[in-house]
Parts: sequence; structure tokens; C-alpha cells
Amino acid sequence: NRETAAMSGDSTTSVLQRGQVDLHDFVDWSGVECLNQSGSHSILNALKKGYREDVSLNLQSDADEQLLIYIPFTQVVKLHSVLIEGQEEEAPKTVKLFANRDHMGFSNVNDFPPSDSSILSTDNIKGQPVAVKYVKFQNVRSLTIFIEDNQSGSEITRVQKIVLYGTTVETTDMKGLKKIEDH
Amino acid sequence: ATIICIDNSEWMRNGDYSPNRFQAQADAVSLICGAKTQSNPENTVGVLTMAGKGVRVLVTPTSDLGKILACMHGLEVGGEVNLAAGIQVAQLALKHRQNKKQQQRIIVFAGSPVKHEKKVLEMIGRKLKKNSVALDIVNFGEEDEEKTEKLDGLLSAVNNNDSSHIVHVPAGPNALSDVLISTPIFTGDGEGGSGFAAAAAAAGGVSGFEFGVDPNLDPELALALRVSMEEERARQEAAAKKAAEEATKQVNAGDQQEGTSQDVTMAENVNSETSDPEKKIHDLMDDENALLQQALAMSMDDSSSTVAVRDTDMSDISAEDHDLQLALQLSVQDIDESEETEMNKALTDQSFVSSILASLPGVDPNDPHVKDLLASIQSQSE
Repeated sequence: NRETAAMSGDSTTSVLQRGQVDLHDFVDWSGVECLNQSGSHSILNALKKGYREDVSLNLQSDADEQLLIYIPFTQVVKLHSVLIEGQEEEAPKTVKLFANRDHMGFSNVNDFPPSDSSILSTDNIKGQPVAVKYVKFQNVRSLTIFIEDNQSGSEITRVQKIVLYGTTVETTDMKGLKKIEDH
Repeated sequence: ATIICIDNSEWMRNGDYSPNRFQAQADAVSLICGAKTQSNPENTVGVLTMAGKGVRVLVTPTSDLGKILACMHGLEVGGEVNLAAGIQVAQLALKHRQNKKQQQRIIVFAGSPVKHEKKVLEMIGRKLKKNSVALDIVNFGEEDEEKTEKLDGLLSAVNNNDSSHIVHVPAGPNALSDVLISTPIFTGDGEGGSGFAAAAAAAGGVSGFEFGVDPNLDPELALALRVSMEEERARQEAAAKKAAEEATKQVNAGDQQEGTSQDVTMAENVNSETSDPEKKIHDLMDDENALLQQALAMSMDDSSSTVAVRDTDMSDISAEDHDLQLALQLSVQDIDESEETEMNKALTDQSFVSSILASLPGVDPNDPHVKDLLASIQSQSE
């Protein structure tokens, strides 16, 4: 895990601390949603392993340049940093993150203060993860990513890859619970 | 979750759709509500009107069909629609749906000419698409190229993977509801498609029968559908109808019960199925039932003092013993065949019925006709 993190981090791997993992395996895929995505260019192209590495597969916005991505997790996690990659002009610029807010829409997304927000630099969209305000993401059941605009102001935003780094919290895995047998 | 936007503007008074545009639209809306709620118990439907004094939400998305249909009663036609506002209010109402996981859909009945610019509509369409709301457009009523072009523009702006649809229904011999049933508005996409269409077909019908249900296959359903539809319309004309009913009921009753003969004592036909009810018979039944109930209630309170009132009531119906007996017989039969009611139970108690008949003015218990009647009631309840 640290190796892959180091490779994608390029020069500034100091952002990634020891112990952070790619939270890909803890995503609850059945609940992942993305508003305003183009039908043929869905969120999975950016989020899922295999797709996100494929340069020809992108997440694209549809009616306008904004995207609202909802990612629930199978267990509680701590979020450390976020990597958002894209091509120069159409890559995201202003990104707002919301922890544990479900079912937001474009009309009310700006009614809530974001847990963190960031303006992606060229370095970021080329592979440098953004460290988030760790204290605000200690107990995350779901993450909402609001992409408000893109680098060039074009009508369509394209996202190549989204990777979430963090750690898991000790949570009871309900599937692993077994009934105590009476002997 | 679905919101239906109704056009209740002045343009809906036109009679080019039978009986008039508004009624045809209301029928279609009722059918859609029924079909949606039947196809999946978790489906919710809400209704709003776009004209009148302004856009008004009649009922927020609910799965209670009775509540939805109730709010459609007494709707008045007037004013002009505000299509843009209607769609936007619908979107807002959907946002506040209880189950956030439900897909959002707006069905808009566009009967008036469209006064908004195409660009405005396209912007609205894009906003709907952005928020993952599907839109079904029923283009009926006023027809002009500009309207069609604007609505087509709206549809293409909102359409995402064919989840939105537009249907053009020109005026013609077929009812608006019948035309809509075979369209994606009823058959839906991913909303339990086939179940939806089947429910809609059962509710509305595609065959040539009135109400689409074969009276031979399902007489009770045909009866219930017809009765409920006709009851509504007849209630407003109750007073005027009574006189006409009196004259015709004898003929109708005869036709219904025996088919040919005009036998006075219909005791022999107590068990005949009302396979093809006449509208007037049932209006009569309801009026008679109402009056009989009144009579019963009063007789239960104090028989002596209320004779005069009952006298008035009964005299409204008829002046002749003969007609009265027929009426009572019909009413009793109808009650016995219908769902259990207090009336039903009360009337099956023969002593009670006999005492009522005896106390009614103009009815002589020793009259052979009345005796036959009482005998028939006895045999009926056995």
C-alpha cells in the first residue's frame, strides 16, 4: 500500500503518513451515487480499481460542470487525504468535502458548511493528494464530494481518478458475528 | 415518487375531448395514480394544479390512493397555467419526499399553449436532469407547432437514457386515458413495467367495454366501477332525476329481473345476478337506500311523532302502493347483494321490516301484494 501511495504521490510523499491505506475496499458500492454524471461516463470510471487507472475512462459531468458524488462506506473510517486526478482544463478545481451528510442535492449542498474544501492546483490534478482536515474526518460513514467548478471553466468536468486514503476504525463487522452455540 | 401537474386552466373547458378536456384529464390522472400505487406499494404520488389562482400542491407524495383521489374532487377550472413554476414546484415537492432513495418523476399535462421561451424550458429541463428527475409530458388540448417544438426541446434537455417521455394525444374518438395506457407513461421503465401496465389495464381497460372490464368475466368489478363513476355524476342531479327514474324504473326493473314479463311480484327473482346494471337503477337504489335509512333511523327514535316526516319522504318517491313495493323490493335486493351494512342487517330482521312496512302510510299490511312481498323477504333471508 505504501508503495502505490508513494508512486502516485511523486515528489511530495510526505503528505502520506505511515499506515494510511487506500479505502477502495471499504466503499459500499451499492450506495455510491453521482448526480449530474453523464450516462456513459459514470463515477465508477474514476473510483473503481481498474477503471480509474485507465486513462480513456473518465467520469464526466452532464448538464453543467458540477458533480455531486456520494460515497458510503461499509464501516467507519478515518479520512486522511484525497487524490483527484484529471486532464488540465477540464479537471476539477473547487472541491468541497462533507462527512456523514446523506442525500444532498445541488440545491442544498451550499446550505451546509463543508467539513473541508480545497482548490486543486495543477500538481494536485497530476497526482498529488490533498491532505484533509483530519480532525473533521475521524468518524466517517459516508463522504460527499462536491465538485463546484473546473480548471478552465468549461461546460464539462472530467475526472480521471479519485482515491481516498485513510484508516479504518475498529467496527463490529455484523456479518462476522456468530451465534453462541449451546452445548 | 411521482408528482402529477394538472392543467386546470380556462383552456380545459373545451369539449373536443369527451366530455371536456378537464374531465378527460382528471380521468387519466386518476388512472395513473391507481396504476402507480398498485404496481408497487412503496410508490408515492402527489398532485398539483398549475392554473387557477396559482400553482398549488393538492397532495404531497403519498401511497394512500384514497387521499390522492379525494383531493381531486371539486377542482375548478380557470386562470392560466404557469408551466415553468409548476415544474419547479413539483421538483421542490419531490425533494422533500420521505424516502430519499425513490426515483423522482414529474408527469405534466400540457393542454394550454406554452407561453415560455424554448430556452427557458430547456434550462428547466437541464436542471431536472442534473438533479436526476425524470419528466413525462402529455401534450394534449391546444395544438400548434410552436408548442410541440418547445415541449420537444424540454424533453430532449431533460431526457437521460430514455427515462423521460413525451406523448402527443390529439382530440379524437378515443379517451385520453385509453391512449395513455399503452404509452411509456403507464408502462414505465424499471417501475415494475409489466405489472404497471397490467394494473393500468385492469383499472382503465383497453377493450371495448365501458370501463374495460368484461361484465361477464367480472360482474362485481364492472358493477363497482360503473356505480362509483355514475354515482358521482348523478349525485348532482339527484332531485331532477327522481321524477324521471320513477317513470322508467318500472320498465328497467322489469327488464333487469325477468327480461320480458312485467310481473308485479318479483319474489321469484330474488337471486338474479345484476349482470348488466342500468345506471338509473343504481341511482334509484342509492336514493331509496338513503331514504329508507332515514326512515329506519326515525322509526328507531320515535315512530309516532315522525310519521309526518316519513310521509313527506315517502311521498316524494311515489304516490302508488305498487311503485312503493317495487322500490322497496329493489332496495332490499340491492342491499342483500352488496357489502354488509347496518341496513342489510336491519332489513334481514323480518319483524323489523314488517313493522316498518306496516307503519308506512299508504301500505296496507293486508294487501295481497304486501303479503307476497313479506313472504319473499322471508324466503330471501333464509
